[in-house]
Amino acid sequence: MNFDFSDDQREIKRTARDLLAGRSSFERVRAAAEAPAPPAYDPALISELGELGWPGIAVCEEHGGQGLGAVELGILLEELGYACAATPFLGTVLAALAIEHAGSSQQRERWLPGLASGEVRGALGSAGAIVPDAPGAAVVVLLDDDGGATVLDTAQDGVTVQTVATIDPTRASGRVSARADVGEELPGDVAAAVGRAAIAVAGELVGISQRALEMTLAYVKERKQFDIPVGAFQAVSHRCAQMLLYTESARSATYYAAWAADAEPQRLAEAAALAKAAASEAGREVTASAIQAHGGIGFTWEADVHWLYKRAQLDAAFLGGTGTHRATLARLVSTRLHTMDA
Amino acid sequence: MDLTFNDEEAAFRDELRAWLGANDAGPEPQGDEDAHYRWRRDWQRQLADARWAGVHWPSEFGGRSATLTQSAIFFEELGRSRAPLPADVLGLLLAGPTLMVWGTDAQKERLLPTILNAEEPWCQGFSEPDAGSDLAALKTRAVRDGDDWVVTGQKVWTSGAQFAKWCMLVARTDFETPKKHQGLTYFVLDMDQPGVIVRPLRQITGEAEFNELFLQEARIPDDAVVGGVGNGWKVAMTTLMNERSGLAFFLQVRLRNQLDKLIEEVAARGMLDGAGGNAIAQKLGDLHVKAEVIRLTAYRGLTAIERYGQPGPEGSLTKWMWSQANQELTQLAVDLLGDEALTADSPWSYELLRARGNSIEGGTTEVLKNIVAERVLGLPRMR
Ligand SMILES: Cc1cc2nc3c(=O)[nH]c(=O)nc-3n(C[C@H](O)[C@H](O)[C@H](O)COP(=O)(O)OP(=O)(O)OC[C@H]3O[C@@H](n4cnc5c(N)ncnc54)[C@H](O)[C@@H]3O)c2cc1C
Repeated sequence: MNFDFSDDQREIKRTARDLLAGRSSFERVRAAAEAPAPPAYDPALISELGELGWPGIAVCEEHGGQGLGAVELGILLEELGYACAATPFLGTVLAALAIEHAGSSQQRERWLPGLASGEVRGALGSAGAIVPDAPGAAVVVLLDDDGGATVLDTAQDGVTVQTVATIDPTRASGRVSARADVGEELPGDVAAAVGRAAIAVAGELVGISQRALEMTLAYVKERKQFDIPVGAFQAVSHRCAQMLLYTESARSATYYAAWAADAEPQRLAEAAALAKAAASEAGREVTASAIQAHGGIGFTWEADVHWLYKRAQLDAAFLGGTGTHRATLARLVSTRLHTMDA
Repeated sequence: MDLTFNDEEAAFRDELRAWLGANDAGPEPQGDEDAHYRWRRDWQRQLADARWAGVHWPSEFGGRSATLTQSAIFFEELGRSRAPLPADVLGLLLAGPTLMVWGTDAQKERLLPTILNAEEPWCQGFSEPDAGSDLAALKTRAVRDGDDWVVTGQKVWTSGAQFAKWCMLVARTDFETPKKHQGLTYFVLDMDQPGVIVRPLRQITGEAEFNELFLQEARIPDDAVVGGVGNGWKVAMTTLMNERSGLAFFLQVRLRNQLDKLIEEVAARGMLDGAGGNAIAQKLGDLHVKAEVIRLTAYRGLTAIERYGQPGPEGSLTKWMWSQANQELTQLAVDLLGDEALTADSPWSYELLRARGNSIEGGTTEVLKNIVAERVLGLPRMR
């Protein structure tokens, strides 16, 4: 047993952290979010990530990707979440995941090279729900209520992407609908593809939580009231300890799920629900606590914690929140016990 | 114990209900903060004209000399009719009651009437950049100059300062005393002067309800000292007590309205039906219990004030309970109504974000718990 990143994975994480610290500082995130029609993405960042091969990190080499796995993808998303980066990355990698793991060979040939290079943008989400990165996506994997999914070319007649302004202006969101006769069915295991997508989103939530925790620690060590740093009050220090507990719980579940997705796919459904349940809770609780520990400053637009809070709220709701996934887990466990008995 | 309303209270309620049935504030303006404020101001004027604005105020000041219970009935009925809250809540619930306790006759005569009709709204200049939870550490200086005081310093998070005529200002007037709670004085500051500069601060909802307040040799006449020079801490505590118990009473009515709205929306979607509706019903029921407990606890507090002249220990609990319940309610709305509650135009997304301020404004929850531990439970202070 070795529950740790390899040297290569660590290197990916460090490189991503360094790169995003320079290219996606909070000033840049804020500039994107405060533009007249937010978000105003930085085209240089989009092309740089593309040149680095990030969008294709988990896409097989045959289709122009790097052929790495869910763990490496999770690392990148964690770092993008940590930076709260305003860039249409999530949707593209989610669409690629679904097409790679549940698409026909024709669908893979058609879409994966473009998605992997970052030249084609994608999105994935449920019909009727908010789909991150849908505006600007050339291809959308639209999940229906019956567990099926359709691959939509948004340039086609009969596909509508309606932009929706959410509380998170750092990311474009939309609702997608399509006429019944448009689009191609995704023939493979859609549930597994959605599980992989949920794990990826959990990765982003881990990064968001980590950042909110670090910003809070820095603040409460510095900010003094009653002549001592407020972090010395147990009400504050225990809150910070609780934030760590949430973050590390989400991290354990998410890293495990990312590993299982490739190494033990039979555990994917359960691991994905576990990761999304834990990470959605962590994201919401930790960012709310960050606001609280910052006092009045935390409630201002000027401070940056609210970007994390808002991103966490949207991510938590996307592809099912804590409650939905907890219920899924209880049912999965019950079924497993039942089959063991039989 | 008798939890029914007596004849007088019932008559008061019926008269109010009839009035609210015949009068309303008109449609709520959307998206324009100033227009929204004017809408609430005009509503307060309508209330004041019919002597409904400050029902518990003495009749000589335009009130009805109503009992505290009647004033509670007032807020409940206002909520029940889904009428908006009056514009100058800070004047009605904080400044007015503080002046009634500590103000001179001349101050009361001059300042109270214009609170009722929202002619001269109020703001609260307590917090400073380095004095939030530790309010007594405040540094704004007031120095005597002939018959005036000259004030220099900075306040922050001053809600409503952009509309205010008067400010409840606490400043340091004695720089020698070793104890920082001493040496503070409570003033009524006229906001309408060159030495007062208001700069809006945007909050996480995108709105700018609060402000930075820069005081650059602002002048205050000596007769605008409230409760005596050097007595500012005590006077400020009266204001804060009213903020934490009186205001919470008023806010629980909003909580109730929001909860009813959520229950209606959820029921309309059929989400409470069948066995699957049980888990959702339990969550809503939990919030119903919380809302009722806050209401009942607030009523107990009213009785305590009526009988013993001061709120009992439960007074310290209501603001804490309210902020927690409101945060839970708004998050539950997102869980139940789905991601559409996170869209920018949804009233729920505003409520979700605004609720994050509830556990910070008027004293953070951590600080309120310290107060409960030390003053109510008698536990030793940390230092
Ligand atoms: C929406 C809103 C409106 C407001 N309106 C007004 C207004 O109109 N007028 C006005 O004067 N002020 C107003 N305030 C300011 C408010 O009273 C302060 O923000 C609050 O008292 C906290 O002070 P602070 O922001 O400096 O936080 P800090 O005191 O710096 O607190 C930072 C963190 O440390 C914790 N902490 C501090 N001391 C202790 C302790 N002893 N024990 C345990 N934990 C502690 C706090 O709970 C918080 O989590 C408003 C605030 C908000 C959010």
